[in-house]
Amino acid sequence: MQVAGADAPAGEEISKAEVALYDRQIRLWGLEAQGRLRRSAVCFDGVKAVTLEACKNLVLAGIGHITIHDSRPVAAADLEVQYYFQDGDMGRPKDQVLAERLRLLNPRVDVQAQGMDRAFDVVVAVGKTGSAAQAVAERCRQRGEKFVAADSFGLFGYLFADCLDKHEYLEGAKEGAPPQKATAAYRPLAQSLAARPDVANVQRLQRKYPPLVFVCQALVAGDSVEDEMTAAALEAAVAKTLQERDIPRGIVDGDLVGRVAQSWGAEIVACAAVVGGTLAQEVLKIVTQKDMPVNNWHVYDALRGDGITCTL
Amino acid sequence: MRTTGQLARVFGEPAVAQAAAARVLVVGAGGIGCELLKNLSMSGFRRIHAVDLDTIDLSNLNRQFLFRHRHIKRAKAEVAVQAIRDFNPGIDATARQANIKEAAYDVDWFGGFDLVFNALDNLEARRHVNAMCLAARVPLVESGTAGYLGQVTVISGGATECFECQPKAAERKTYPVCTIRSTPTAPIHCVVWAKDYLFAQLFGEQGDAADEDQGMGAEEKAENMEELLQLRTEARALARLADAVGGADFAQRVFAKVFSDDIARLLSMPDMWRQRRAPVQLDYAALRAGASAGFDPARADDQAVLAAADSLALFAHAAGRLAQRVVGQRRRGAAGALAFDKDDDDALAFVAATANLRSHAFGIAPQSVFAVKAMAGNIIPAIASTNAIVAGMMATQALLVLTRRLAECHTAYVVYGDGRPRTIIREPLAAPNPRCPVCRRRYLTLRVADCRRTTLGDVLGLVRALEGTATDLALGEDIAAVEGSRILYDPDFDDNLARPLADLGLVPGKMLTLASEDDDSTAVPVILSIAAQRPQGGAEQLPPPPPLAIEGFESLPEFGPLPDDAPDDAGSTAAAEAADAGSGANDLDDDGAIVLDADDDAVVALDDSDVDSVGHISDELHKRKLADATPPRDASSKRRALPGSEENDDDDVTMDD
Repeated sequence: MQVAGADAPAGEEISKAEVALYDRQIRLWGLEAQGRLRRSAVCFDGVKAVTLEACKNLVLAGIGHITIHDSRPVAAADLEVQYYFQDGDMGRPKDQVLAERLRLLNPRVDVQAQGMDRAFDVVVAVGKTGSAAQAVAERCRQRGEKFVAADSFGLFGYLFADCLDKHEYLEGAKEGAPPQKATAAYRPLAQSLAARPDVANVQRLQRKYPPLVFVCQALVAGDSVEDEMTAAALEAAVAKTLQERDIPRGIVDGDLVGRVAQSWGAEIVACAAVVGGTLAQEVLKIVTQKDMPVNNWHVYDALRGDGITCTL
Repeated sequence: MRTTGQLARVFGEPAVAQAAAARVLVVGAGGIGCELLKNLSMSGFRRIHAVDLDTIDLSNLNRQFLFRHRHIKRAKAEVAVQAIRDFNPGIDATARQANIKEAAYDVDWFGGFDLVFNALDNLEARRHVNAMCLAARVPLVESGTAGYLGQVTVISGGATECFECQPKAAERKTYPVCTIRSTPTAPIHCVVWAKDYLFAQLFGEQGDAADEDQGMGAEEKAENMEELLQLRTEARALARLADAVGGADFAQRVFAKVFSDDIARLLSMPDMWRQRRAPVQLDYAALRAGASAGFDPARADDQAVLAAADSLALFAHAAGRLAQRVVGQRRRGAAGALAFDKDDDDALAFVAATANLRSHAFGIAPQSVFAVKAMAGNIIPAIASTNAIVAGMMATQALLVLTRRLAECHTAYVVYGDGRPRTIIREPLAAPNPRCPVCRRRYLTLRVADCRRTTLGDVLGLVRALEGTATDLALGEDIAAVEGSRILYDPDFDDNLARPLADLGLVPGKMLTLASEDDDSTAVPVILSIAAQRPQGGAEQLPPPPPLAIEGFESLPEFGPLPDDAPDDAGSTAAAEAADAGSGANDLDDDGAIVLDADDDAVVALDDSDVDSVGHISDELHKRKLADATPPRDASSKRRALPGSEENDDDDVTMDD
């Protein structure tokens, strides 16, 4: 396994100036976690509102390195949600503009817009579906990098984490009691998308899995997913993913599919802030190896106000 | 102006139009406030007003992302508003560096907003804004964070629970005086002793230290009389030592008194140590000789836990520097008094060193300066991501409130921990507590032309004159008048009747509560928000307004009878539940937030200037929290209160005087 932090000077101590700057969070997760954070490198593949939100939180927290990868030009729709983009940025590559602005936020953090050649502790694929999502996920497995898929669209958001077969972490660090070492095993994305829950009863399924997770799975899995989709098209995609895995169709109701379809392809800051906050928090857990990262799906419904986690 | 096509697609055109037209107030431009201001400026809101008293500090920059290093010491509200103007140049955003409790922010001022957001870090200001929003009938989006935890809710007076419908844990933890002064058993006891007693006595203003028996019941006082008298003698001796400040042997004399003589006195009472570990006297000369080679108190590592000998060196160093400052002040003709400030390195070093020396004497684990700072300054951890999540939810709720979708609003809690099935838990908005002493009141506006002429008697006369009319307040003849915790009038206390309102501190911005003194009365108490007369722009034809008038009857809420099972008094229920919630001891909860006890014989208190707002976690959530934990805890502790809020340090958004 390649560890991105390995090329940083080992055991480098957090300076007094850093302790003063990061005081309020060091009191939460401790100096050791702060050190791990500083030695870690994360890649965001795909620039959307949720990318900005998550990167902002990680840059503020003092992560070591962020690579942003998305050479698409800044478009009018981006200006609605990317507060660091200005009219004059139209047409420039999104990753370059975002990297420039994030650098101003915390000069201690190395933010680059470039290829994905270097080694990362975590690669986050944002807003990717179908083979594009699969390609990033598989590449991470091959390279021994942890993988997160995330998106925020309209009033919904999800994240999926694959921290490989054995993720080591410290759990339940309570005041007075030493934290315990623990490990967790994660599933590759492809396996999760094909997973057959061993519950057949719809009510019990719904208790265990939020229906939204199956809609999000259909979106991540579907090569036929378009930038904008009718409810009928999304309905068909959801039906397909459920049928392939013998999951009762009734677990997802039409109202939810309609609401997601209406949200798909749109971004709003209010929802991206919540999903980006959660995404940053999970990336922090992965790189600091403190507390168990979500294993393996998390879905958010902004209107309902639910953030639910499940294993699939 | 940024376009809002995607927002309209998701929320509908009416929501976008409502957001664009709404005047919104953001109280607090700190951790939550920065995130919220950004969200609002990017979510169709165009008329945004931000108020914050605070200035920017280095320790804010790990999360308050609208601020840069170059902004340190500048006003938070102003820098934040400039930043969101840069994000979205077309918006009309204004900032005020001010205390939201100022009289200028009266009921009319609050009434000029369509929606208010609380992004505050202290209970008192949150309570104040809650009351002002109830009085002005403006919906309020309330929030708080502490570390990984956070919450958001919507308050619409009369329709939902208000901020005070559920009891809140005490904002500051207090300790029995005997624990602090004679029998400490935990590091915090030593820190409180070092800060509130030793530091205050030596360097503070005369009479600054807490009275030993303050807050004790008569019975307790009697029980502890002997010890209390001893402690008073001890304190006087220390106060005399304070006069020796700046002398060559000052540190050594202080040491001899508190770590040797006072401990010898404690040891002379063997009864005290029958059940406890007895302290040991510290030896100045021996410790002095045992200092680590090369230890430099001027460059001590904040993270290190110092040996007793090094704590002595740090103590002597810090005491010397503080003494010099006091002497310098006196030389310039000033009083020569210091107040503890956790960001004052000398003060912190002094408190840490003396707390640790005391810990050594009492067999308590010493702490790093870093850890002592958190205890002495009541620092609550704060991170960017929790604030981002909470502020994102606030913006969503705001759009729902503005489009009158209150039924879809909810209370949401951000939770944290291994393997939790939820990271955000939602509950429907609760109905008001029928016994709430804040929202189950009739809010009316009292318009006064001149508070220096109108007397309290005039106000009561006006209320009584309404009897029998359509706007009878039903308070009867016997009325009590209260402002805050001050009783201004009751049938047995009429001294103030002839005094002008201004004399009684009753000026625009204040609230006067009137309640019936008749035991059989079922009348709902009335809260009169004092306001100036409305300006009569260009209306020469109209008769002049009366010098005193009560407005707002048309929207008086109807309160039904109390439910049979409702307890008699909301205050005592709140206290009982708070005590119940804390019955488990001073434990730290899973998330590192301190669960505060309602302590019985609380005497010595931590200065609350640094304490954050306290959020509440409702019954339902607490049940779920319990269900998440294995094994389940005592089910009798129905409600648990968390100190929940964004800041910690001196970042009180509104400072108290």
